[in-house]
This record gives sequence, C-alpha cells and structure tokens, in this order.
Amino acid sequence: MHTDIMEHDGCFSATIFVKNELGLHARPAARIAQEAQKFKCELRMQVSEQEVDAKSILDILSLAAGHGSEIVLTAKGDDARQAMEHMAQLFHSIVGEEA
Amino acid sequence: MARETLHGVAVSAGISIGKAFFINRQSRRHIPRETIPASRVEYEVDRLTSASNTVRDEFEAARSRVPEELREHGAIIDSHLMICQDPKLMLAAATRIRERGITAEWALEQSVESIAAAFSAIDDAYIRERIQDVRVVAERIMHRLLGAQSASRALDERMVLMAHDLTPADTIELEQDKIMSFATCEGGKTSHTGILARSLQIPAIVGVEGLEEQVRDGELIIIDALRGRILVDPTEEELADYSDLKYQFENYQKAIIRQCTLPGETVDGFRLDIQANIELAEELQSVLDNGGEGVGLYRTEYAFLNRKKAPTEEELYKEYATIAQSLAPAKVTLRTLDVGADKMMNMQEQLEEPNPALGLRGIRYCLKNQDLFRMQLRAILRASVHGNVAVMFPMISGLKEVRQARYQLNLVRQELDEAGIPYNPNMPVGIMIELPSAVMISETLAQEVDFFSIGTNDLIQYSLGIDRANKHVSYLYQPLHPAIVRSIKYVVDAAHRAGIEVSVCGEVASDPYCIPILMGMQIDGVSIAPQAIPGIKRIIRQVNMEECKQLLRDVLSHATVSKINRKVRQTIFKRFPEELTFFASLLDQDD
Repeated sequence: MHTDIMEHDGCFSATIFVKNELGLHARPAARIAQEAQKFKCELRMQVSEQEVDAKSILDILSLAAGHGSEIVLTAKGDDARQAMEHMAQLFHSIVGEEA
Repeated sequence: MARETLHGVAVSAGISIGKAFFINRQSRRHIPRETIPASRVEYEVDRLTSASNTVRDEFEAARSRVPEELREHGAIIDSHLMICQDPKLMLAAATRIRERGITAEWALEQSVESIAAAFSAIDDAYIRERIQDVRVVAERIMHRLLGAQSASRALDERMVLMAHDLTPADTIELEQDKIMSFATCEGGKTSHTGILARSLQIPAIVGVEGLEEQVRDGELIIIDALRGRILVDPTEEELADYSDLKYQFENYQKAIIRQCTLPGETVDGFRLDIQANIELAEELQSVLDNGGEGVGLYRTEYAFLNRKKAPTEEELYKEYATIAQSLAPAKVTLRTLDVGADKMMNMQEQLEEPNPALGLRGIRYCLKNQDLFRMQLRAILRASVHGNVAVMFPMISGLKEVRQARYQLNLVRQELDEAGIPYNPNMPVGIMIELPSAVMISETLAQEVDFFSIGTNDLIQYSLGIDRANKHVSYLYQPLHPAIVRSIKYVVDAAHRAGIEVSVCGEVASDPYCIPILMGMQIDGVSIAPQAIPGIKRIIRQVNMEECKQLLRDVLSHATVSKINRKVRQTIFKRFPEELTFFASLLDQDD
C-alpha cells in the first residue's frame, strides 16, 4: 500500500491509519522518535485535536494512538520532503499492517 | 542475634552469605531544590547535558551486550535510550534551569513530575504505566547529577547485590558471575528481578522493607531466600548455622532433582498424579525438568490481558494445540478464562465494581460475554485432537452455571460438526470447586461433570471471608482451619461416591506439612508450581497411606486451628526433620 503525501507551500503531510492491534505503544514510539531525530526539519503528529513533536517518544506516547486512530504527520523545513517519504514508509511498516 | 532481621518475598530459593553491595541507593540523598545566580545557569545546563549523555552512553553500552536470552530487555533499553535524550524531558529541564534559575536536579525533578501529571490523564492503562520508564531513566540521570559513581562500579569480589530496584540495564551492566544473590526494596513475585534470579539460579528476595535504611555498604549479611529473611551483621553462631544450611540445601536440591522423574508413589503403592500449574507455553520445559506428569491447571488468561483486542480463535488454537502436542500422551487441563471485569479494561468497557472479588468474574464473566467464551471453547475443542486435553470452568457457584457452560460447549460442538472440523467428542469436562456453595452441593455437581479440581487459594479466602493480601486480616489465612479441612474432605468424598476424579490445585497442595493430610483423604492428584514438584514427590515417596490417614483423623479430631497446626507441625517435623528445614510452610505464619 502506498501512503499519499500532500504538499502545500513546502509543508508536507500524510494521513496514517493505525491498523496494528496494539497501536502506537512503547516500542514503535521509540522507533519513530529515533528515525524522526535523524532529520533537521520539524516533524509533528496530530491525532484529533492533539498535536505533538514526532521526535519525542514521550510526546508520541501521550497521543495514546490506539488501533483505528488516524494520525496526520506533517513535515516543515530543510529536508521535509525526504523526511516525509522516509517516515511515511516507516509508519506504514510499523502500524499500517493488521497483525 | 543479628543486628537486624529484614523480611521480604523470596523469589528464587537458596541461601547466600556475603558482603552487601549497593547500587541505585535512593535514601540518604539530598536533592538541592535551590535557585541559582544567573552566572551559574549555563554551568547547570552543562551538568544536565553531560549527566544525560553519560546515561545515554551507559544505555548504549548495555544495549550492545544484551544476551540473546534477554532480548526482551533489549527492547526496554531501546525505549530508555530514547527517553534519556527526549526533548520533553531534557529540553524542558534545560528551559526550566534558564527560565526559573534553579538547579539541574530540581529542574529534572519538575520535568518528570509534569510528564507524570500529563500521563496520569491518559485513558490507556498501558501507556499510563510507561511513566515508570521515565522515572527509571530520570533516576539514573539524577544519580549522575548528585555525583554518584556509575552503577556498574567494578565488583572485585563476589557480592550480594542490593538495590532500590533493578532495571534491565542494571542487570546487564553488572558482571553476573560476581553476583551471589539479589535483594531489592521494590518488586513482587512476578517482577523481572525474580525471573532473572531464577534464570541465573541465584537466591533473591524482593520487596524488602527497610533495606536501604538498615544495611550499610560492604556489611556482612545473610540472604535466606528459603524463608524471605535477611540477617544484617549476623553473629558467629548464625554464620555457622547458615553455612551448614546452605551446604545442606544445595545437596538436597541436587538430590531431589535427580529423583524427580520417579512417580509420586507412597511406600505402600498408592499413586498420586503430580501435575503442574502454568500460564505460559514457555513453562513447559520447566514442567518436564521438574518431573511434572502433565499440566493440571493451564491458566488461559495471559493471552487476554494487557492488550487492546481479544486474541483470535486461531491464535488460541495454536497456543493450546502446541501445549497439547508437546505434552501428549500426558494431560493438559485448560481452565477457561478466569478474570474479573476489573482486569479486562483494554477490551471491554470497564465496570465500576466496589468489590471485584465478589463481582463479575470467572464463569460469570464468560456467560455474560458468550461470543468471547464460545471463541475460546472452539479453540480448545479444536486443540483437543492434538493430545490429551481436558477443559474446566472456574468460579462455579451453582448447578445452573455448569449447565449453561455445557450448553455453550454443545453449541460449539454443533458448529464444528456442521463445519466438518474435527475435535475429541469425549474431551473431559470438569469444574473448579473454589466457592463454599459449590462445596455444599458437590454431590449434585459431581453428577454433571467428569472431574473436580479444588482451588484451595480461593476456597480459603471465600470460606473464611478474608483477603489474604490485606495485612490486617492475613493472619486469618489458615489452610488447616477445621472448616477448610472438612470442606476439602467433603468434596473428595462426594467425587469418589460419584466415581469421578478429584485433584487439588492451590498452595496447600505444595505445602510439605499439608500434603500428607490431603493424601489421607485419598485425593487422586495435585497440581502445583513446577518448582515445587521435586520436593513434594520426595515427601510422598517416603510416607505410607496408613500414617496419612492417621494424621487426617488427628486433624479432624481437633477443634481449633492452633491445636491442628501444632499437631501437624510436630508430626511432620519428626518425620522429615531434614527436608522441612528448607521449606517455608503456610503453617509458619503464626510464629
């Protein structure tokens, strides 16, 4: 499956559906923060009204994004396009599969 | 007498004598909650950064040395590594130093508390619990800030490791061959410290009150992980006694392990089935290693807890089939889901029950959630063709529940018939006898099922009306209370009149003082923790039925618990003076 990436004024965004059973628990949250920290751009995650820093495992955990939630990932800054492509792929492999 | 005797929960049996070696000590420290002049702000920020970098390096070093058998620990260290560099923790603390002009320690403490406050509002219990990881990491950084040495300061001789708590990283950093035993302030029977100690086969005691206050670094101590005691600064005489005990225990353990595959048979040829209680398929090896003749109680809860969605039938089927296959031709008895609504929070809407022990749990829960129940029954029936499988229902209080449960089982059989899926039509169906009402109608219940399993832990609590975990009433937890002994005997007799088998699962069955009494009732089998099997078999192999029956008659002739306990202690102790030195008995609790 391919995740659609939208671009608007140098700001990239993608919507990810959490399909795995456990949702975004500690291990995936650690992976995501770890990968996000490799990029210079600002990376943020939003679930309903709550928006947090994708480079912080604690922020990601505080989203408590369970099975069935919808996450909007946005990237803004220098390497935003590259970051978004990488992160969308990563999200898909971590939470995008029914397991 | 030793200067102090401390008490805790023994999680890995044995004796160890050595010098105390503390890591992660929390007491006797002072967190400077102070404001600082503007000129010192950058200095404090640097201290904070350097402390967190040191901790990061330690985690990375530990991560690279995680042995294969502890790979679960690796994943925990990964998330700790991320937390110790997390902007929400570290950047926020640095901002606090700058904006509020406070020390690095105070800023760190405030950041942790603000994260804790945010986490406490999260609905998901699993995520909420992760605050513990934040605390563990922050604690390490705090240690560096306070100028403590690394947790892994080299051990130059074998030591008794003492800690407030041990994290997976701690245990990997330490040279394991230099650790003689563990003692920690935190933790319970199932904490990972216990699991680790058992896998390293060293004695361990957790949940020790006063450990940090009473024990000095380098002080001589005795860890008695047979009875859950720590002797601080023991006398010459105590040292001599415990050295003997240690030597005897180690020899005894070797001897009973060698003999554990012999049958549980009395000298006059009365044979008892000795089965094991387990909850994970991984425990099968330990059942076989300890001479278990099957699994008398497989707790099926594990697959249902700590997750958001119920497991699938396929998943359960695979789990049960694997166990049945590996044990065949030995039997495995699968107990259907025995949880209270209070534990199923992730899957179901949480009920507000003022008294969950008397609430919607066990078979009641299953009969309320029939789809879930039938799904589990399907998995069990499908697995029944792969070995010797039996099913039993927990928390039965009356006849109607047995009939309703059997009705659900029949519905599933019909479904399987229609779908042409094979199952064993003769799979035995039993029930747990653990409520006083079930005891009183056991004669009737025996007409409806193929076997009974007496769950003594719950039966004692429900019969005597006490919560064993409640320290104000735990002294009333008396396995040989006349009401309990008579209840068990009543059920055994009812079962035998109806021609069905009856076994006992629960701690009473693994108590060396109680097992001869149960044998006097002529129970057909016991199901106990795998580690308890070798010792119990050894006792059974030395008694004869006549002395067991005599002991039972004596017990039944006394009217009070204290008389019964005294009589039993005297009789058994005379009979097995050596063995009983090593066993903590349920009857010891009143001394």
